[in-house]
Amino acid sequence: MAILDEPIKEVLELKNYVDGEWVASEGEVKDVVNPANGKVLAKVPISTKEEIDAAVEAAKEAFPDWRRTPPLARARCLFRLKELMEENFEELSRIQTMEHGKTIDESRGETRRGIENVEVATGIPTLMLGYNLEDIAAGIDEYLIRQPLGVFGIIGPYNFPFMVPLWFAPYAVATGNCIVLKPSSEDPISQIKIAELAEEAGVPPGVWNVVNGGRTVVSGMLEHPDIKGVCFVGSTPVGRDVIFTRCGETGKTVIAQCGAKNFILVMPDAELQRTIAACMTSFFGNTGQRCLSGANLVIVGEGLSDSDYKVFYQQVVDAFVDAASKIRIGYGLDEAIQMGPMRDQAKKESVLGYIEKGIAEGAKLALDGRTPEIIGDWPDTCFIGPSVFEDVTPEMTIGREEIFGPVASVMKARTLNEAIEMIHSNPFGNAASIFTASGKWAREFQYRVECGNIGINVGIAAPMAFFPFSGMRDSFFGTLHGQGQEIVRFFTESKVVIQRWF
Amino acid sequence: MEEQNLTASAIISFSEQLEDRSAAFYEELAARFAEHKATFLGFAEGSQKNKVWVTRTYQETISDALEACFCFEGLPLSDYKIEPSLAKNAGYADALASALELEERAIRFYRDVAQRSESLLATIPGAFRRVAKKRSGRKLKLESLEKAAGSGS
Repeated sequence: MAILDEPIKEVLELKNYVDGEWVASEGEVKDVVNPANGKVLAKVPISTKEEIDAAVEAAKEAFPDWRRTPPLARARCLFRLKELMEENFEELSRIQTMEHGKTIDESRGETRRGIENVEVATGIPTLMLGYNLEDIAAGIDEYLIRQPLGVFGIIGPYNFPFMVPLWFAPYAVATGNCIVLKPSSEDPISQIKIAELAEEAGVPPGVWNVVNGGRTVVSGMLEHPDIKGVCFVGSTPVGRDVIFTRCGETGKTVIAQCGAKNFILVMPDAELQRTIAACMTSFFGNTGQRCLSGANLVIVGEGLSDSDYKVFYQQVVDAFVDAASKIRIGYGLDEAIQMGPMRDQAKKESVLGYIEKGIAEGAKLALDGRTPEIIGDWPDTCFIGPSVFEDVTPEMTIGREEIFGPVASVMKARTLNEAIEMIHSNPFGNAASIFTASGKWAREFQYRVECGNIGINVGIAAPMAFFPFSGMRDSFFGTLHGQGQEIVRFFTESKVVIQRWF
Repeated sequence: MEEQNLTASAIISFSEQLEDRSAAFYEELAARFAEHKATFLGFAEGSQKNKVWVTRTYQETISDALEACFCFEGLPLSDYKIEPSLAKNAGYADALASALELEERAIRFYRDVAQRSESLLATIPGAFRRVAKKRSGRKLKLESLEKAAGSGS
């Protein structure tokens, strides 16, 4: 099978995009490495405090004019950005595969999901409408208007380098705010490309800024008095203990979408073939580096005798292991490949560590992905295959902690109630799915489970751009979520006017 | 014949190649057989439209949620491959025979991938079925041309 042409031919020297200019940073420089072949793709700067301050200043200066720009004119910039993204769809997708490692199908899916957010944000003249009521008292009218707040910081994760910042950025800009965006320094190229397109689309200088970097840039956002709010997607310790806490202390609004440990329930009446196919996507898509990935596969024996449950359990495990063992691993630009490498070697080592812990704690390794067969002549530095553990309990490390890699833990539950209790024994509440033909079980699951995103016969409960990307408990810190109507509310203040004319 | 499990990307690339080769073949026929130029150019144009239709459907429907790790199972890809070419001295009847073989393979390909993608969003198998239907219409037209040529009309 052919390997698709690589759009990045030489090492890119990445710059910051501030006030409509591409500015070299004075900070140290880090390599951006293609995890499949180990080649350096770009040099990314780790920007200084002065550089993040300059970007915030530029955004602050751009804000008064931008907020006075009519919503329809702001939307037109986004229509142009959307069109440019469509024109560059393939290049943008291949860049994601090169800098992150995911397969080309996964990258194209990510590109589409990102574009959909720009598309939804173009509806801002409607989405931002307030409301009114006349004669709230004799001769007095009252109305609500939504106003932008100023400058927002957006901190992107490495696992979806293109899409995740677009859960926020187009809505912030559409509502009349200005942004300073920090991509992950591990795979920042996608966001640089988007900024180039935003510039081409006519987004005015200072409205859309990108500052590359690490902790200094994050701290700079959190401490800066002119940043009104921060949107963050990343791990729970950072999201909860740093971003959420510090935003509270400095009076900023915050969205911190964090870690996960998602349970997937298979009920006895599930349509097995489709369930297993959906589970492959869920557990091993994006090489398990997804906050909506399935982590714990719970095979539920509700209504079955002990002997029937044993048969059902084995049937599901056998089909799951068989399907996982057939996943083809290699460079994501090879069209034969179904799973790419981990983003870097340290992440692979972390997953290997969890596999060792699982073995040490007594779980049975039914499929060992530690030394996978790699299609193509690529270094094995970042590659790891799907692993499946049986006999996992919710208390074990691998059943409890977020592994963020292609490892599935199979658990047993005799009843739906027991399975739901397992979910609730885990502190995370990002997503949970049930596979069943029973509306009664599905409704009970949806009603009781305390997770933000629920899948019913869907392995990855990923909300579309016009719905909020939810999350509960240790998976989310804040009030309003990314995407849809909620993000429009997040980026605006509700002002109420009560009016009487004498 | 070797059956393969193929990613969505591989199937779309194959479809693009199939339509490109078909378009080039029909353009050649249009140049060689002037009395049927309009028909053959119409077929070439139709292939370019098919390519746009399938690629656009894929790009607009694909999502990480539904298609990561998805594969089209058990496809005998080499069986659908077409390398249509006409010898310099090939006549009109040879050209029609080659065109019919091309269409039969293409129809089989689109029907097979439609059947194997039933579990995806309906637009994807729908796009493949639509192209299979258009190709079937083209095959009927070719058969009528063949019949007309055989009867000397």
